[in-house]
Amino acid sequence: VRCQHYPPLRALQASAALRRASDEHKKEPLTSSSQQHFDSPPAGPQPEQEPHGPRPSYTGQGGQESEDYESEEQLQHRILTAALEFVPEHGWTAEAIAEGAKTLGLSVAAAGMFHSDGSELILHFLSECNTRLSKLLEKEQKLVQLGEAEKKPTDEFLRHAVEARLRMLIPYIEKWPQALSVLLLPRNIPSSLNLLTSMIDDIWHYAGDQSTDFNWYTRRAVLTGIYNTTELVMMQDSSPDFEDTWRFLENRVADAMTMSNAASQVQSTGEAVVQGLMGAAVTVSNAETSRAVR
Amino acid sequence: WRLWRCRCRALLSRPAGRLWARRGLAAGPEMHFGFQTVTEEERREKIYQVFESVAKKYDVMNDSMTLGIHRVWKDILMHKMNPSPGTLLLDVAGGTGDIAFRFINYVRSARERQLQRKLKHHQNLSWQEIFESYQKDKFNSLGDSQVVVCDINREMLKVGKQKAQHLGYSEGLSWVLGNAEELPFDSDKFDVYTIAFGIRNVTRVDLALQEAYRVLKPGGRFLCLEFSHVSNPLLSRLYDLYSFQVIPVLGEVIAGDWKSYQYLVESIRRFPPQEDLKAMIEDAGFFKVDYENLNFGIVAIHSGFKL
Repeated sequence: VRCQHYPPLRALQASAALRRASDEHKKEPLTSSSQQHFDSPPAGPQPEQEPHGPRPSYTGQGGQESEDYESEEQLQHRILTAALEFVPEHGWTAEAIAEGAKTLGLSVAAAGMFHSDGSELILHFLSECNTRLSKLLEKEQKLVQLGEAEKKPTDEFLRHAVEARLRMLIPYIEKWPQALSVLLLPRNIPSSLNLLTSMIDDIWHYAGDQSTDFNWYTRRAVLTGIYNTTELVMMQDSSPDFEDTWRFLENRVADAMTMSNAASQVQSTGEAVVQGLMGAAVTVSNAETSRAVR
Repeated sequence: WRLWRCRCRALLSRPAGRLWARRGLAAGPEMHFGFQTVTEEERREKIYQVFESVAKKYDVMNDSMTLGIHRVWKDILMHKMNPSPGTLLLDVAGGTGDIAFRFINYVRSARERQLQRKLKHHQNLSWQEIFESYQKDKFNSLGDSQVVVCDINREMLKVGKQKAQHLGYSEGLSWVLGNAEELPFDSDKFDVYTIAFGIRNVTRVDLALQEAYRVLKPGGRFLCLEFSHVSNPLLSRLYDLYSFQVIPVLGEVIAGDWKSYQYLVESIRRFPPQEDLKAMIEDAGFFKVDYENLNFGIVAIHSGFKL
């Protein structure tokens, strides 16, 4: 795996040491004077046995690279994932991240790597949810392709997808309004919008949308509207298992379908009316001509 | 240079290393003391004497030189650290305890907020249970947070202890005499390591950074608040004017010590600028090293993580 990184890449020492339970692998820091491309070595490097001691001995630049190399981003991902379980108690805050870091064996100060308002945690959670949704829809699509399940009609598919996605919020529903407000901060709007649009795009893709005209935009706009309004309804829904929300969702999807039907109906009615008028005009003019001839 | 440093690092392993610093360095490498050139040992001694003489008037001088703005800088440092209750802080060169006291205040109010939130969570408890939870948490107003103030200078520590007593800070504080280049602490112990306006006075900054790396827990944070390089040319001229004309005079008038404050402003000029210090911190092994300029670079906060 080739990793490109700026500033120069070095293996993380302390966190990796924590991850390996018993052995004494200590990674050597690379020189920071040159940016290097980091190759993770093939499996099976010789482990270096270092003397037990409070301080690792530095052997300069010729240090052995260990098997499981981890970048800063990967470590941050792990911390954020671990922090999610503390969100119901602490909210989307730096404290939840600190608790998450603690479970990984890191110091609570590691939460200082992230913003104190918890934005990264929320965005991480959103992208995780979207990934889960994609996997779910892909799995179902495979089942349909293999013939083991029936293809759902569009409205039912959309309902199912949106419901599945919203259900992922249920464990965090109490603190979700706080998350929504943080997502509206100007700093976070590009990322949150990006995640939202990619999720909607995913759903339509698996729903079988192959439009290449303006419909592409209309469909996504409509579904975004449905998703956002349903999410808001869910925030203040207190019915058992959010029945009210799913009913609301059903109605909105039905509305959307009706509207699209109505739109095409209006179009065809309009065409029919125009044709009728044209026909009437032709008839009248024929009648006039024939009368004039007589 | 690197090879020499690596060999020295190897020598600095527990058993043998402690003597290295004292071994025949009377004719050691040339170093700067302000704008003078001295040897390493001489520099350490001179700096010790500087702080010995300014200790009593240290806080007063800080206020008058920076017009009180140093308090804001230290507050910003504390906000950046955002410590949660249960954090173990090592404040090196912390002498008169400014950072330590701020830390205690911050953690105390964070702890109060935490308890409030816990209480809200448990609103369905009976009165009896709420009262009992008060008793349990009452003796834990800091949430197990602790700060260790370490300084090489006995006088500064003395002033710090007096201040603590005067202001009423008792729990969660420890005062330790120690050298930043050779900390008397075990490895992997602290959550946060701060050094505010102290790293400039350390003779071997790289050793201090390595020690900082050593004593921090994995995931621990290194924070350094220090005077730095002003890049804006106009501001730089004004700053130089103020530094060299006004500050030593203030030093003479208020503390009766021109030379110490002359040393102070000279040492600021000799200290490496932001990017160089950032590279040194990365060399010590820290990750996600970054700096934030305060007041256009008059002061900079460097931050790094032991990952």
